Amino acid sequence: MKMLLLKLGGVGLLAAACGSTAMPPPSMTEAQSSVRAAEAVGAESLPRGALHLKLARDGIEDAKRLIADDESEKAELVLERAEVDAELALALTYEAKARAEAQTALAEVRELGGTN
Amino acid sequence: MKTVSIAFLAALALPACASSQPTPQLVDARMAYARAQGSHANVVVPDRVLTAKQALDDAEEAHADAPGSFREANLAYIAERKALLAMAHAGIQMAERDRVSAEELHKERQQELRERAEKSLENTQDNLHSARQQIADQGSELVEKQRALTKAEQRAAAALASLEEVAKVKAESRGMVITLDGAVLFTTGKSELLPISREKLAHVAKALQELEDDQRVVVEGHTDSRGTDELNQALSQARADAVRSYLIEEGVDADMITAVGRGETQPLATNDTPEGRANNRRVEVIIKPSDKVAARQ
Repeated sequence: MKMLLLKLGGVGLLAAACGSTAMPPPSMTEAQSSVRAAEAVGAESLPRGALHLKLARDGIEDAKRLIADDESEKAELVLERAEVDAELALALTYEAKARAEAQTALAEVRELGGTN
Repeated sequence: MKTVSIAFLAALALPACASSQPTPQLVDARMAYARAQGSHANVVVPDRVLTAKQALDDAEEAHADAPGSFREANLAYIAERKALLAMAHAGIQMAERDRVSAEELHKERQQELRERAEKSLENTQDNLHSARQQIADQGSELVEKQRALTKAEQRAAAALASLEEVAKVKAESRGMVITLDGAVLFTTGKSELLPISREKLAHVAKALQELEDDQRVVVEGHTDSRGTDELNQALSQARADAVRSYLIEEGVDADMITAVGRGETQPLATNDTPEGRANNRRVEVIIKPSDKVAARQ
């Protein structure tokens, strides 16, 4: 019963999308906002960050195409992929920043130690 | 974009082969999960490692259901990223810990350095304080000494001034010279003091007692030229001795006073007239300059 309702819902959604302008699924919005979050912390400036950011953006584009081709189930998987890539871009950027800060703090300790 | 599209095609093509081989994404996901599990992530962010494990389980399930499917490839891709994400978050937390402990160490070192600097400052201040105290002590000691010296000088000056009433007092290079008329002290040819002389000598004794401890006093006896040199020498010595003895009797320290007979060798005036000879017959009490006073000038 539940499955049936979901399927009906999916059909309804697709019908609405076909009607005029397509309503992006929530997973699309989530993936896009994750990409923006990664961009905001400067993921682009880090090689690995830039790579995963690009993969996330490509995933979103692929998902759009899949939605247009009525492949919404595949689109969901691709969007989930895109989101996890964006999250990884963000985490890698934070990691690089945290390591740099730790290095700076250690260097300061060494500098202070040198004056003893 | 192109690579992703190719991946899609490959993934779509795989079910057609009906192969039970895992997709390359699943192989990567398994390896990534194994790395995450064997890393610090398992200790630092176990919840994220667990999420990666669940994602891998989903991918394995998709593989069992439909090996090489689009679903398997995508779920495996997601699982691999989740394992990487767990390691990245572990990296963040560990770097954060390193930074916090480095900052704490930094604070401790700074505190140590500050304490050391404060201690050193305190020592310097203590040293400065005791140096100042020493200088102040020495200063007041010096003032005290000067005051005592000034008092002694004043007393000596007063004593000499009172002496001037009974004897001739004159400052010379050899010292302060108190000249006592021989006729007042002795009968002609004798060396016993006349009673009248004792009053005058008492004044002299009083003045001498005001002197500094290290001052030297010489009593010199002088005669005129009548009589033989030997007699005059002996007489002048005897008279000088008599005056010295009396001064000691009156309280002058015996160690500071000596007596010398000069005979007729140092006349003050001509021996050709009675007045001149009277001037030559005399006893001189010479106060030598004080070393202390000399050093101060």
